[in-house]
Amino acid sequence: MRGFEADGDSAVAILDDEERLVVARIVADVALLLGAEAFGLDHPSESAASIMDVDDPFLHLRGLEESIREPSDPAILRLLPNAAPADREVAEEFRRLTDGELRDTKIRRLRAIWEQLSRDTDEWVVRSDEALATAAALTDVRLVLASRLGLVTDDDADRLHQEIDLAAHALETDDDEVLPIDHERVWLGMLYQALTWLQESLVEYVAEG
Amino acid sequence: MDTERQVESEGSVATRLDDVWVTIVWNDPVNLMSYVTHVFQTYFSLTNEDATKRMREVHENGRSVLSSGPREKMEVDVQAMHSYGLWATLQRSSE
Repeated sequence: MRGFEADGDSAVAILDDEERLVVARIVADVALLLGAEAFGLDHPSESAASIMDVDDPFLHLRGLEESIREPSDPAILRLLPNAAPADREVAEEFRRLTDGELRDTKIRRLRAIWEQLSRDTDEWVVRSDEALATAAALTDVRLVLASRLGLVTDDDADRLHQEIDLAAHALETDDDEVLPIDHERVWLGMLYQALTWLQESLVEYVAEG
Repeated sequence: MDTERQVESEGSVATRLDDVWVTIVWNDPVNLMSYVTHVFQTYFSLTNEDATKRMREVHENGRSVLSSGPREKMEVDVQAMHSYGLWATLQRSSE
């Protein structure tokens, strides 16, 4: 894996087949959490076309008429947080007015990443005018992973790094029988770290403008 | 539509001077300092220096007030922050 670097009018990262698949899959999973239809695995252009001819053009306006309940999944709640914890009425109205549009924006950005990664090349090409939206979508993915990993404070995030270093060392030295390892947690944590690193390189590119 | 009327009437109330609202951005362990600075700079049209100062406030004090004004404007700002994955809330400035 190589982080994003400027290349002409784009930022380009290098990911091998497996890395691209892992990132594309978590991006699609987060979109599913937000209520998107599954991103097709074989025909990305078809699924992109299908979102263009939605039968109901007023789909996201429907939310205006009824109140929308706060998401019960803490990960989705982090993507669509309570906008006024001390004032239920303000919070409910905010959710009613913005929930549909926010979900649409987030899903559209995630889908763009998924399509960028579905091309048959190691290069992950992000046009400069898409770079901030891509960084925003990477934030959403990292927020979901962080929620699943139970990262609430800055200290939790620091501890995760130590935990993964220890686990990686134990696996390398076949010490994992001595040190019990939660493989799923370590895997999610490593994915979180990789996405953090990729996002950092992309933000650096954006900030240099 | 009821909702529309409601929004309009609240809009006229929010222009009163004693009903100023604020947008607050809260600290979280996920968002990168460079990213938060860039979002502040881009969305709120801040200089890099000011954006960095606000980001540090969020990181060190746990929160920072990023904008103030009528309630509907703060709703737009909070929605924008949520679209960037930042944890933002709105409240009356007197609260």
